[in-house]
Amino acid sequence: MNRIKVLLENLRRGVVTEQYPFKPIRVPERLRGKPVIDPDKCAGCGACVNACPPNALTMRDDKHSSMRFIVLFIGRCIYCGKCEEACPFGAIRLTREFELAAENREDLYQVVGLRLYHCPLCGEPFTTVRLIKRVVEALPEEQRAAATLCPRCRESVTAHYRSYARR
Amino acid sequence: MKLYRRSLWVFHLNSGSCNGCDIEILNALAPRQDAERLGVKLVGSPRHADAILFTGPVTREALPSVVRAIQAVPEPKIVLAVGACACGGGIWHDSYCVLGGIQGLYRVLKSMGVAPPKTIYVPGCPPKPEAIIHGIMLARGLAGQRQARSEYFEEQGPAVKAEEDLHRLFHKCFPGRLPPKTARVEWGVTRY
Ligand code: SF4
Ligand code: SF4
Ligand code: SF4
Repeated sequence: MNRIKVLLENLRRGVVTEQYPFKPIRVPERLRGKPVIDPDKCAGCGACVNACPPNALTMRDDKHSSMRFIVLFIGRCIYCGKCEEACPFGAIRLTREFELAAENREDLYQVVGLRLYHCPLCGEPFTTVRLIKRVVEALPEEQRAAATLCPRCRESVTAHYRSYARR
Repeated sequence: MKLYRRSLWVFHLNSGSCNGCDIEILNALAPRQDAERLGVKLVGSPRHADAILFTGPVTREALPSVVRAIQAVPEPKIVLAVGACACGGGIWHDSYCVLGGIQGLYRVLKSMGVAPPKTIYVPGCPPKPEAIIHGIMLARGLAGQRQARSEYFEEQGPAVKAEEDLHRLFHKCFPGRLPPKTARVEWGVTRY
């Protein structure tokens, strides 16, 4: 009797196979798919690079061309969403895209190149222009100038001015 | 690209994956996604196969068997690197006991004098069964590639101007004597 019940149930249900490659499927609302960096929002801060568990996101500073490259290799991404959580500017987002098959390994990369910011005192590049600009805009007027220095120079400059104040 | 006109017989090769991708491959063959209606048949021996569904980051233990299995597949063959592990080493990419995905395997094959086969990368951890089917369709030339490389380089002109403005802001606020230059930090190092 049980088998007949199963048979009837299956007849009632009909075909369950999806028509996938010929018809699009219904993608779940909260599917974590391909991460995409919005290059206009990204400031090259590197928070996502620190958060990424498999190092799908890497960062490289090229001193000669004065550029910082944030490189996303989708082939290594595990779609954990940590980068999205870490990004302070909401620049990196996980889309619902999942059809990522590629014939070429090069197609799996996204590169964002941003100009490096040089310290006005020691001349060393330490972060991107865009990030310093955003930091300066967010700070109150009297703290802005110190924020334009690299951490080491800021330390020595503030110590220098404090020693003047003591005398 | 049309690599295979006819049915694609696949051999499932696990090179030390966590089983996530293998389960998704089985899902792709099960009734709901049913890759068999597209002519995909799972075969038991690499000698009968046209394609390899390759999963895992290639552990050292698996390497000899993996190389033998790949060599046993008759030409022309195609490899579908399924999952983040096979595509780029995934979460294990810098572990001492793996070769870091299919690129590491190809390095070994090259050192043996074997040309690496044509490869299709199917990223995901694990990829959805539909993503695997999309990879198979790409191999058969029935679907187009959606993924493309994207590059963005900031415009130099406005960035240089913004930098000069920031430097001017600094020199306006600290016009006095400044301390000597601090020790130089070595930059330009690759950071992971
Ligand atoms: S989703 Fe996870 S693995 Fe992928 S880029 Fe973001 S942090 Fe890295
Ligand atoms: S955390 Fe956001 S702003 Fe910072 S580098 Fe990553 S994507 Fe760009
Ligand atoms: S890609 Fe993810 S699911 Fe697939 S074998 Fe590697 S860790 Fe497991």
